[in-house]
Amino acid sequence: MSPPAAGAASSGEAPPRELYTIPASSGWFRWDEIHETERRALPEFFGGAGGSGFGTASRNPRIYREYRDYIISKYREDPSRRLTFTEVRKALVGDVTLLRKLFAFLDASGLINFSASPSRPAPQKKPDAEAILEAPVGLQVTPRPPASYFVEERGGGGGENGFRLPPLTSYSDVFGEWAPGRGPICGFCGEECSDGSVQTLKDGFKVCSNCYANDESTGEANKHLGDKKERADNHASSAWSDAETLVLLEGVLKHGDDWDLISQHVRTKNRSECIARLIQLPFGEHMLGTINGKSDSKLHKNQTTERKVDKYIVKESSSQPTETVDGMQIDENKNDTDKSNEERPTKHRRLFSSIDPTVSLMEKLVLLTTSSSPDVVAAAADAAIKALGNENPLARKAFHLSEKEYRTRAFSSICARQGDGIVGGQDAEMLGHSVPGNKKGKMFISTTYQVRAAVATALGVAAARAKMLANQEEREMELLMASIIETQVNSLAPFLLPPTGII
Amino acid sequence: MKTVSLGANRPSAVKFRMPTRDNLVPIRVDVEVDGQRYRDAFTWNPSDPDSEIISFAKRTAKDLKLPANFVPQMLHSIQGQLAEFRSYEGEEMQIREKIVPLKIDLRINNTVIRDQFLWDIGNLDSDPEEFARTLCDDLNITDPEVGPAIAVSIREQLYEIASQSVSAMREARVSKKGRRAPEFASNSKAMHNSLDLFKYFGSKGSVVRKRKEWYLYEPVVDVARKEEVGAIDATEELSSRNA
Repeated sequence: MSPPAAGAASSGEAPPRELYTIPASSGWFRWDEIHETERRALPEFFGGAGGSGFGTASRNPRIYREYRDYIISKYREDPSRRLTFTEVRKALVGDVTLLRKLFAFLDASGLINFSASPSRPAPQKKPDAEAILEAPVGLQVTPRPPASYFVEERGGGGGENGFRLPPLTSYSDVFGEWAPGRGPICGFCGEECSDGSVQTLKDGFKVCSNCYANDESTGEANKHLGDKKERADNHASSAWSDAETLVLLEGVLKHGDDWDLISQHVRTKNRSECIARLIQLPFGEHMLGTINGKSDSKLHKNQTTERKVDKYIVKESSSQPTETVDGMQIDENKNDTDKSNEERPTKHRRLFSSIDPTVSLMEKLVLLTTSSSPDVVAAAADAAIKALGNENPLARKAFHLSEKEYRTRAFSSICARQGDGIVGGQDAEMLGHSVPGNKKGKMFISTTYQVRAAVATALGVAAARAKMLANQEEREMELLMASIIETQVNSLAPFLLPPTGII
Repeated sequence: MKTVSLGANRPSAVKFRMPTRDNLVPIRVDVEVDGQRYRDAFTWNPSDPDSEIISFAKRTAKDLKLPANFVPQMLHSIQGQLAEFRSYEGEEMQIREKIVPLKIDLRINNTVIRDQFLWDIGNLDSDPEEFARTLCDDLNITDPEVGPAIAVSIREQLYEIASQSVSAMREARVSKKGRRAPEFASNSKAMHNSLDLFKYFGSKGSVVRKRKEWYLYEPVVDVARKEEVGAIDATEELSSRNA
């Protein structure tokens, strides 16, 4: 609607005539005429579709003008007040539907309510609440991941909030015939699949074995179908409570890939449900390691969107070292294979990793370690291991340090290295990358200790650097002091030295 | 201006349907089981498959936490009303411009609304839901249940008129009256007095009502206080039980 223009509705001559401003777009209006616009908009009054006839007894141009003039005059009695349909219909005789249409036409074409207060107050929006378009704090924007990622993310996001109200049955209208208690519905053929025949596709949604056999490719087209079923699937046979989820995670830590043991651990859920639940958790896929080739880029994205989860888990893990110790022990026995821990652990497919943030954390740590020379880093690593070993005898075991080694391990305190004074340059960076990696690789086996050692290493390295800088500063200060003193002494020298020749 | 004779109002025959833009049937359910009572009014699309009815009944019972033995009675009630609607469906009815006054006299939660307005039952483009929406907006009624209740009430009245027209047609055909008689018969039988068009739309009349008559066609809204609501509920219960 164009804002009220300066056009006057009536020619201003004698003062008794009042001037109304009407929008320029409705300038065609004339009191004593019926414009073509009106005929076209309300053909009922003008004898049908053509709008040129005379209409019927109750709908004809005369009647139309009466209605119209009444409404417009009514509005003009008080142009600042919004005229409502209910007000006028009490005074007009005729079909309310038709009157409504007429009223709407006048409103839309700017003949009434053009300078009234804009819209009706209800529903009242709180004036304080402002909608700010911003990414949430701590969230980084990443390049758009492939569409397939979103399918899982939504599913995973849904699974993240442990507390879930039982779905209203109206819900099933939207999400199809799937009801709690029934088995998963195949994403392709829409039929219920018996437990055994469920196959999980790469994208994480379920298809029955028939469809799986028929259709190898990850039906991109069926994604929408899969979405719904996926979401429906989130509500497993019985909803996963917080406690159950925790038990599941424990089970995964303990048993790694052995789903039978895990489902035994989680007594109330069977095998496939455990798998399903794990997939739905944000870091579940990482733990499962079932998604091939995506772990690389995917986990990068995972990092950014799962920071919150990360922090939570990190806190959890660091606050419960004793619990995980047991797990780690068993772990050691099982996982004797050398997990060469390169700085890019994302590229590596591990059987499981209990803590997702090892990824992002590692990167940070690596950055820290590259600030100094490789020797320093190695020394810091040594010190870290030693310190950890001191802390917890089991750690020593984890690091495969024999007693002898431990004792003789050069207490390579950082101080010994201060002579280097080499500031880690870009060249050293690459070296730095590989060296700590190799060192670590030989010694580390369990992930918790890896993380802790890495953290300690980074801290050690940072401390080393800081110490170096501090020493440097000190030396400079000493130097400056010495030169000051020297200057002073020199200036005072004639007065200080005993005068020669005077006895 | 040329005066138009009122006889120009020709009736046309159409297949029975609700004389509104959307052919939706008003359904009213009042079921009582073991001291619990379920009352509801809503619109139903008769072209929906019947399997929808059972799922709707179950879903509603579950959402409202009603015991399962409500469902068969609900089902029975809804199906009965739909069957009645469908029994008219094959028939023809006369559609002609006919303006009748409709009344609203409802209490929804703690809102009481009374209103009267004119409705052309021959206007197949009419929209009770839109009318109800406008009414609630204009009167700043915040309770979201009021609008649909008004719409259902309008539909019920329209349905009654339409079905009467059909049964009148049926009777007229059966009886041996002359061709013109059905129109008059249905006219006189109509419970709602159709508007005396001539008085208003004739050349000497005016469609603008006299001010003193405005109050008749104005909505009246009352918001009852909590205590009152309780009392009204109780009296209604008693009267409906005794009825």
